[in-house]
Amino acid sequence: MELTAQALFTGLLMGGFYGLIAVGLALVFGTMKVINLAHGELVLLAAYIAYALESQTGLNPMLSLPIAMAVVIVAALVTFYLTNQIKKDRELNSLILTFGLGIVLTNGLLMVFSADIYSTQSSWFMEGVVIADSLFSMRSEMIAFIVGIAALGGLYWWLNHTWHGRAIRSVSSNRDAAKLMGMNPTKAELWSWGVAGVLAALAGVMLYVTSVIHPPVGHSLTIKAFVITVLAGMGSIPGVLVGAIMIGVIEGLTTTYFQSSLAELASMTVFLLVLLVMPSGLFGKKGAH
Amino acid sequence: MKVLKLSSVLACALGAAVSFAQVDTAHAEKFVIGEHTPLTGSLARVGTGSHRGVVTGIKVLNDKYKGQHTFELKTIDDESNPAKAVSAVEKLASQGVIAFSGGYASGVIGPASEAANKANLPYITFGGVATALSQRGHEGFFRINSAAGYGKAVVGLVSEMDLKSVSIAYSNKEATHKMAEYIEKKLGEKGLKVSTHEYDAHVKDFKSIVNKIKLRDRSEAIIMVGYESEYVGILRAANLLKPNVKAMIGVWSLATGKMAKEFPDLMKNVYGTAMLPFPVSFDKPKQQTFYQAYKANYEEEPSYLEQFGYVQTRLLGEAIVRAFDKGDTSLKGIATELRKTDEMTISGRVRFDEKGDNPEFVQRVGQHQGGKIPLVWPAEEKTGEKVFPGTPWN
Amino acid sequence: MNIKFSAAFAIVMYLVIPFTLGDNNYLIGLVASALIIAGIAVAWALLGNLGGMVSFGHAAFFGVGAYTSAVLTMDHGVPVFVALVMGGIGASISSIFMMPALRLRGPYFALAILAYAEIFKILAVEATSITGGAGGLLSIPTLPVFMGIDFGTKLGGYIVILNIVCLTLITYHFIRKSTYGLALKAMHDSEMATRIVGVPATYLKIVMLLVSAFMTGSIGAFNAHYINFLEPDYAFSGSWTIFPIVAAIFGGYRTLSGPVLGALFIYLVDQLVFKSVMPQGHQLILGAMLAGMIILSPSGLLPILTKFFAPKKNIKKAEGQHA
Repeated sequence: MELTAQALFTGLLMGGFYGLIAVGLALVFGTMKVINLAHGELVLLAAYIAYALESQTGLNPMLSLPIAMAVVIVAALVTFYLTNQIKKDRELNSLILTFGLGIVLTNGLLMVFSADIYSTQSSWFMEGVVIADSLFSMRSEMIAFIVGIAALGGLYWWLNHTWHGRAIRSVSSNRDAAKLMGMNPTKAELWSWGVAGVLAALAGVMLYVTSVIHPPVGHSLTIKAFVITVLAGMGSIPGVLVGAIMIGVIEGLTTTYFQSSLAELASMTVFLLVLLVMPSGLFGKKGAH
Repeated sequence: MKVLKLSSVLACALGAAVSFAQVDTAHAEKFVIGEHTPLTGSLARVGTGSHRGVVTGIKVLNDKYKGQHTFELKTIDDESNPAKAVSAVEKLASQGVIAFSGGYASGVIGPASEAANKANLPYITFGGVATALSQRGHEGFFRINSAAGYGKAVVGLVSEMDLKSVSIAYSNKEATHKMAEYIEKKLGEKGLKVSTHEYDAHVKDFKSIVNKIKLRDRSEAIIMVGYESEYVGILRAANLLKPNVKAMIGVWSLATGKMAKEFPDLMKNVYGTAMLPFPVSFDKPKQQTFYQAYKANYEEEPSYLEQFGYVQTRLLGEAIVRAFDKGDTSLKGIATELRKTDEMTISGRVRFDEKGDNPEFVQRVGQHQGGKIPLVWPAEEKTGEKVFPGTPWN
Repeated sequence: MNIKFSAAFAIVMYLVIPFTLGDNNYLIGLVASALIIAGIAVAWALLGNLGGMVSFGHAAFFGVGAYTSAVLTMDHGVPVFVALVMGGIGASISSIFMMPALRLRGPYFALAILAYAEIFKILAVEATSITGGAGGLLSIPTLPVFMGIDFGTKLGGYIVILNIVCLTLITYHFIRKSTYGLALKAMHDSEMATRIVGVPATYLKIVMLLVSAFMTGSIGAFNAHYINFLEPDYAFSGSWTIFPIVAAIFGGYRTLSGPVLGALFIYLVDQLVFKSVMPQGHQLILGAMLAGMIILSPSGLLPILTKFFAPKKNIKKAEGQHA
């Protein structure tokens, strides 16, 4: 019982964090139909910035957020600019472009920071938070979860209640109609990439305080984010949250009742089953391509 | 016309390729040693460490034989990929290297040493512990360490602790999987209750595993067989859940100065295999030679990776010189001389059996204690007493 | 791809390369490695072009083919060349499990196949008694001596993979020319229209998936006997998916020769030129080149080459040949 409760709790926390990692990808995917294969690397870039600042100046990783955001937003906008240069067959060709940029980033990080592993030096983040004497987590995991939920909630609100957000939504649901309504789709896309950069920076700093970073991590983050995005249904924010928590909980339960090495098998199987039953993902619109 | 032009482009590209590959050949008294090692890709961390050791070995050889012979190292990054390692070996062979030192992971070393064998060149490594590697009947395949050596050290340490039960958490990679199997079997034979927990590289959260050990296994010690980032994950989870264990023991890459420096709190009282204590006093002449040569190029303190890379390269170089003196630097000549090796190196005694394995290889065990790592096993190599029971959280 | 070009390609690959590089194991090995990528790229392009399905999981077929062949030769004494075909069949059988995913579209299909690849990999790790588990298989038999020719050498391996790639190209060519191909192309343009005309779209997609899986599986099988080593992480590595995709798109995936040229170009330029310029981290240049290239020439490498070498008036014609 205690094991199950902890597994569910862990899964929930991981889910919040996974959602944070995935949502930037989902946003861009929703507006521009572009799969940013360098998304995980952008997250990792933010994590390395936090590391560089902490190791050089002793800055608390949370305080490195503004700088990490600035850098990652620029990187995201450069990616956007380049993606926007592709006029033909963009859905497919952007794969090559962002894959190439991902390679550049990974190897750039490898050259600058070497292949060593890093994580925050501050043990404050590793202190335990115990709920009801039986649910354990590190402070950093709680923070990552809260940041994740807040970011997803904030994004949801922003998309529904602000002008820019609504512009993004209308462009993602029907680009041509939005254009006819006098909106500039490129501007909406620009915004979605910028916001994706902010979210990636948040995710990266959270990654740095909860986990361990080294160059290959970026690629595996991209895959995870992509799985969650598709599971969620095209660009759906609530879908991302539900999908991410689902994956987190399945992983936790599989580890507890079977073994950790089967967790990926379980989450992939569930992912497939969901897709086969709901071909457009959990929250995707029926018939949407 | 277009066709002709296209094919001429192809021909040009290949012509360029040929000229890129054709570089100078070796001179008589200059020995060129080839190295393929993962400097990028998933094994970049260990490959870089190993490479530094090899470079240090070459430097020491050049110092030793100053005025007589020179050694040159040609390194190619194998990108942690078997096919690229094979290409690297073939390219280096075509550039006239007379032997190979390097490689990491059995799956890369297997095909690469096969290619070296086909090119009639000897191959020495420490990076692959799969038994099958030395069963292939290659006359020129040597390795200075063995899985059994690491396993024996961990089993020896655990036996000394007089425990009733242990849990093993291991990565489902080739080397870690085999090592976990070995430890499970040996400790089982000694009557301990052994539980195992397999995880894969995707794992992001170790709390569920540690919680199982805490609540279900109730083991007295946790043995970790994995890689650095996973050790950090397991130790953090254990630090949080505080299972009632008396010791946290890791195998590779744990009792290193780097881990002591990067994760001081987390490493407290944790055991790991090591050849030398940290910080190493390097007071014996042999250690001094290594340390000074190493520090000439690198700032960070050397770990076991650098030491092994150094030892294998130096032994290889000396065998080459002996073979040269006898006028036979072929695979056979070098292999014969390598087989005569029997020496106390900074990584312990090295000699090779007919398969090229080092039967003398035994690892030692160190324990993180206040930023230092004294050796605590075996008794005759101790430089400190172990803190037992002891974990990062108590 | 016209006859002249095919002939030139065949002459270069079958005569020029073996006779100029035949005794240079390194270079012939590089070309063989590039051809492995090329073969998968062709199989991927076939599925994408004719079936309208973008797969992110060809590593699944590659891995299944590799393991099928390795296990058959090691445990059941099946001759290697027979096992190469069996590897393809094994991969085709594995693709049957993916049939339910055919109703998915675009990225949904792509990711579903990726999930299958991941699942197969984990099964290979867990099925220790058959696959050797994470420990993998060392000493997989090399390609044998056949009709007096030792295919176990570098040159022998090169000839075998070259034949496999040519067979995939020929198969692709004939499918495209056949009525199937016409129906498939129609389907690619408008599935609804095809249905109305009475072509069973799902049936065609199934056939394309089986064929593409077979091709990839036999290439995986070849690689197992060429490298003589397998472990799940390697056999099902995502790079067996991603590099062929990159090569196919880079070369121009709508054309027959694009994937092959793309693979040869990327692999050889990366390994021979970039790696000698920048021994560590040459991937950086590769990544930048991919990104830059796709912006400058979104239809891939071939148009650039043709534009560069063909007289100006021919450009239109050359582009007309695509698809």
